[in-house]
Amino acid sequence: MVAQPRPGTLILALGFCLAIAATFFFGYRASRTARHVRWQNEPIQSWMSVPFVAHAHHTRPELLFQAIHVEPNPRDHRSIRDIARAEKLPVAELIRDLRNAIENADRSGPGTIPPSAQAP
Amino acid sequence: MLNQLLAALTQYGSPALFAVVAIAAIGVPVPVTLLLIVTGSLAAQGAMDLWASIAIATAGSVSGDQIGFAVGRWGGKALIARLSWLLGDAEHLKKLDAKAKSWGGAGVFFSRWLVTPLGPWINLASGAADYSWLRFTLWDFLGESLGAALFIWLGHVFSDRVQQIGAVLGDLGWAILGILATAFLGWRLFFGRE
Repeated sequence: MVAQPRPGTLILALGFCLAIAATFFFGYRASRTARHVRWQNEPIQSWMSVPFVAHAHHTRPELLFQAIHVEPNPRDHRSIRDIARAEKLPVAELIRDLRNAIENADRSGPGTIPPSAQAP
Repeated sequence: MLNQLLAALTQYGSPALFAVVAIAAIGVPVPVTLLLIVTGSLAAQGAMDLWASIAIATAGSVSGDQIGFAVGRWGGKALIARLSWLLGDAEHLKKLDAKAKSWGGAGVFFSRWLVTPLGPWINLASGAADYSWLRFTLWDFLGESLGAALFIWLGHVFSDRVQQIGAVLGDLGWAILGILATAFLGWRLFFGRE
């Protein structure tokens, strides 16, 4: 007669398998993201300020302030969401305007984006 | 909530940094690694001072850890007494206590920067296990300074890639935790039978 494993052993074995699966899952995801770090552009989020977006996309803050019709001020660290609230505009619309301004700046101003960000 | 915390950090700088890392150290689930990376990016942009940010992040984290330790010291024992039927007899509890003390320094140090999700639990456990406050504070300070310096420096270097670096480090942290769990459970499963 084959001995039945104890419930404690089964739980340990299950935990062991789950831990291995989690290690591979997170390890794979980390390596995949790390491989794309160099050439993926930073997505614009509602918590970012305009100077922060300008820095992440290697463009001038004044250009972005102008694109969303806000008085250019490098010390203006309000988030995009706060600006949207103040201007009574949807956040998505401001993000779209900023993205368009960045794309236009990329097209018209060579050297605004580093070579690492232009790779395929 | 993450968006609001990051917006507060971008707008208010150091006071927001101190408050958020202290709250995270107490045990509120906040992605503090991403927050420190964003701080490094803000330092690279000239909006915050690099060294002051490291000092403030360390001070905030150590303050939060001290609260967790105090809760464990004065509230943890009562909880353990209540759960003693679940944890085992007095002899077993004594063994667990001794183990917690012997691993204390390394546990505190590595949970500050390498396996950060364990940090708040180690604070509570150290307090409850009567681990020396002075040793706890010393290892805590060393680990938190290293963690703050490491993540803020990474944010400073990769200042235009903060979200991606945050995602990589977040996943790496969980992968390391998975390796530790695999090693511990494997050891219990294959060699730990009594």
